[in-house]
Amino acid sequence: MVMKSVKNANFWQIDHKVKNIFEVKGVTILPSPEAWQKFTWTRKFFGEKPKEGYFIWVKRKIDFPLATCITIASPKISQDLRNLLVIEKNIKAKANVICNAKEKFLCGKHLARGKLILKEGVFLEYNHIHKWGEKDFVSPDYEFTLEKGARLIYNYRNLFPPENLEFKTTIHSRENTSSNLNFIINSLNSKTKVKDTVFLEGKNSQTVVRLRLVGRKKSQIEAISQIFAEAPGKGHLDCQGLLVDKTAKISLIPQLVCQNKEAQITHEASIGKISEEELTYLRMRGLSEKEAIDLIVSGFLKL
Amino acid sequence: MREILLKVDKLKVEGNGKEILKGVNLQIKRGEIQALLGPNASGKSTLAQVILGNPKYKITSGKILFKGKEITKFSPEKRVKLGMALAWQSPPKIKGVKLSQILERISRREIEIEEAKSLFEREVNLDFSGGEKKISEILQTLSLNPKLVIFDEIDSGLDIKRLEKIAKTIKRELIKKNVSILLITHGGQILNYLKPDWTWVMVEGKIICKAKDYKKVLRTIKKYGYEKCKKCQFLAD
Repeated sequence: MVMKSVKNANFWQIDHKVKNIFEVKGVTILPSPEAWQKFTWTRKFFGEKPKEGYFIWVKRKIDFPLATCITIASPKISQDLRNLLVIEKNIKAKANVICNAKEKFLCGKHLARGKLILKEGVFLEYNHIHKWGEKDFVSPDYEFTLEKGARLIYNYRNLFPPENLEFKTTIHSRENTSSNLNFIINSLNSKTKVKDTVFLEGKNSQTVVRLRLVGRKKSQIEAISQIFAEAPGKGHLDCQGLLVDKTAKISLIPQLVCQNKEAQITHEASIGKISEEELTYLRMRGLSEKEAIDLIVSGFLKL
Repeated sequence: MREILLKVDKLKVEGNGKEILKGVNLQIKRGEIQALLGPNASGKSTLAQVILGNPKYKITSGKILFKGKEITKFSPEKRVKLGMALAWQSPPKIKGVKLSQILERISRREIEIEEAKSLFEREVNLDFSGGEKKISEILQTLSLNPKLVIFDEIDSGLDIKRLEKIAKTIKRELIKKNVSILLITHGGQILNYLKPDWTWVMVEGKIICKAKDYKKVLRTIKKYGYEKCKKCQFLAD
C-alpha cells in the first residue's frame, strides 16, 4: 500500500469538493483556483484559470511521502482538474497519488492535467495508482519538467481499469537529469490509449521507460512510447505486452527520434500470449487455470 | 495383495498429428518403485506428461486409471489433487515468479532440503543450473504430498555426489512413506541408488520389455543397445 488511509492525505478531493487539506511545514498546499489567485507566478503553469485540482509547493526537505487522493463518489461526475506540483532545488521527495472511483458503475469522467516542476537537483519518486469503475472515462495528461540534475522515478499502475483510459505523459529532461518511468497497464472490458514521450533536451540526460501491458477479456490497448533525443543523452524503451484472452488486442509502437549524433537511444518491444508450457507446468503443481494465469501475469508485471 | 495405483491401458497418443505412443500398457502398485528405460524420443516423457494430463497431447484410444478410477479426461490440477505428481525433465522458466511463490500456493507439507533454500527467492528455473532445476523439481513434487511421483530424467546431468543426495531425499521422503515411484531414465544411473521392483523398456512408443532384474536390463542395453533390446525376449518375465 502506498497510503495507509486517504484520511491522512495531504490533499483529498471527493467529486468537486475538497474534503481535506493537511498542510505540513515547508509545503504549501492549496486548491488550484486559490493558488491561481494567491501566487501569480503559477499562472504560466496553469495556463487558464483552473476550476479544481491541487497546488503543492515543496519548499523544504520533507521526511514523509506526500499523498493526494482524488475520488469520484457520486454518479455522472465530471472532474476537470488542473494540478501543479513544484519542488524547490535539491529537495528529495516522494509522492503517493491515488485517483479512484468509490463504486463500480458511477459513469464518472476524470480529466486531469498536471504539471510537475522538479527544480535543480531534485529527486522525486512519484507513485501513481488508479482504481476505477467499469464505466468511467479517465484522461490524465501529466507533464514533468526536470531541471538540471533532477531525478525522477515514476511508477504508474492501474489496479482496476476504467472503460476508457487515455493517458498521456510527457517528460522534459534538461542537463544531467535521469528518469525511470514504469507503467503497468491492465485492461479488462476497456479501451486504453497510452502515450508517453521523453524529450532528452539537455546534455547527459538519461531515461529508461518500461511499459507492461496486459490485455484481458474484451480489451483494446494502443500504446505509443517515444524518446526524442535532442542532446547527447541516453534512453531505452522496454515495452512488453501480454495477451491473456483471445478477445484482447494490443497495439504497441515504440518510437525513437534522434537529432543528435552523440545520443544513444534503443528499444525492445514484444507482444505475446501466455505460454502454454508455463500454464501446464503450474497446473501440474495443482493450481487451477485461473490461478496459474494470475501468477504468470503477476510475474510478467514485476519490474 | 497391494492395490494397483496407476494403470495405463492400451494408450495411444498423438502430438502434432504424429502418433507417439502406440498402445502402452503399464501398471504401478502402491509403494512400488518402477523404472522406465528407453532411448531418446522413444515416448517416455510424453507418457509422463500424458499421465499428468498435459492438454498438448491427444489421446486417440486407451485409458488411464488411478486408484481404479478413470482419469483419462481429468485436468492436470484434478490429477494432482488425487495424489499424482511429475518432476519435469526440462521445466519452463517463469519470469518474475519466485520458487517461494509457487511453494506458498502448492505446499501440503513442509519439506527440508538444505540445498533448496538458496533457490527460494530466485525466479523459478531462470538461470538455474541443471542440478538446481532438479532440486527445485524434487522440492515442488514432494511438497504436494503425493501418492505417486513420476521423475522424468531426474538423474541426467547430475554428478555422483548430488545424485546420492537426491536419492537419499527420495528414500527418506517417499520410499519410507510407501509412495509409488516411476523413474524415467535414459542412462539408468539413479537405479543403483533406488532399486526398482520392476523395469520397463520403451522403444518407438511401445513397451517392449518388463523385467525384475534392472541390472540385467542395464547390462543388456549397455552391451547391445536398444536396437538389440527390441528383439530380445528373454528379459521379459
